[in-house]
Amino acid sequence: MILTVIGLILLAIGAVCDLLGAIGIHRFNTFYLRLHAATVGTVGGKFYPLLGVAFIAAEQGLWPVVGISVLAALLVLVTTPVGSHALAYAASKARIVEMELDEFRGEEDV
Amino acid sequence: MKKLITLSIILLAVLAGAYYLSSYLAPRAELNALGEFYLRNSYFGEHSAGSPEVVTAILWDYRGLDTYFETAVLFMAIISAVSIFRNIPSVSFHPRGFTNITKTGVKIVGLITFVAAATTAFHGHITPGGGFQGGSMLAVVPLLVIVGFSKKALEKAGLNKERALVIRTIGLLTIALAAFYPLLAGGRFMQNLSIYPKELYGMLVSGSLSLFNMAEFLAVGAGFTIIFLLLSNPEGGSEA
Repeated sequence: MILTVIGLILLAIGAVCDLLGAIGIHRFNTFYLRLHAATVGTVGGKFYPLLGVAFIAAEQGLWPVVGISVLAALLVLVTTPVGSHALAYAASKARIVEMELDEFRGEEDV
Repeated sequence: MKKLITLSIILLAVLAGAYYLSSYLAPRAELNALGEFYLRNSYFGEHSAGSPEVVTAILWDYRGLDTYFETAVLFMAIISAVSIFRNIPSVSFHPRGFTNITKTGVKIVGLITFVAAATTAFHGHITPGGGFQGGSMLAVVPLLVIVGFSKKALEKAGLNKERALVIRTIGLLTIALAAFYPLLAGGRFMQNLSIYPKELYGMLVSGSLSLFNMAEFLAVGAGFTIIFLLLSNPEGGSEA
């Protein structure tokens, strides 16, 4: 019972994060802000719901579903930051999108 | 506003078309004879393929001839790609690769992808999946390494174009030998059970199905690796 409630709360958090991410992708105006919104949508909107599914399945004794959900959640947790980091790094390095407020480049160049 | 009107007209047309067609698409109440034959025979029946996974049984046993020549088509496609690229010099650029964060992520995801690919291929006769699917997943690992590290890192680790060609040829030769061996043993071309054992040391191997899956795993994985290595040659020479 308790596990199902926790799982449902996590699913609801995931839905809210997905909604916020979708709104952010449409409303933010620069590349880096949009990347931030996309990451919110991925980590909050995929990682938490997958954990929630794992909790609900654990209550019902569906252990294969628990294993697959936890594995997929961990994979999402590893790949999302790496992917967004690589995107931002490449966009900044290739000077495709200029940073408005570059906190790192100033010290490096001087 | 004009866009919205066009979009809603298209949406209405699609919905009306789907509603009109839906009356002709009544769900079938019974299997046709061929489908029933496959379902009944793939594991238990008289003409058994020894595999509980019906799709793999159809692919490599009942319709094995089709899959054999499909593999030959892939063989020809990759050979022609290699021969087109034969005069282009192999150069590596950007040997630094991405940052350490990306490299660590590539290591973790690459290991998981490799394990998932091997599981998909080696359990192909028990669970959904098979050699081609596993091989396609296997080919993602070198692609990740090329993007995260560099082409040079992959070649330094021992996986260059020539070695991938050797691995692929081993896989294809295994498929050809396993397909022709029943002819020598007095059976038919690509015959499965009663030539090959259904179980080996208490494990279900489904005759030649698991052998075909493993060989196809190697052939497809190495074949796509060759294509990725060829395509990652930068135009206009080395930048590094």
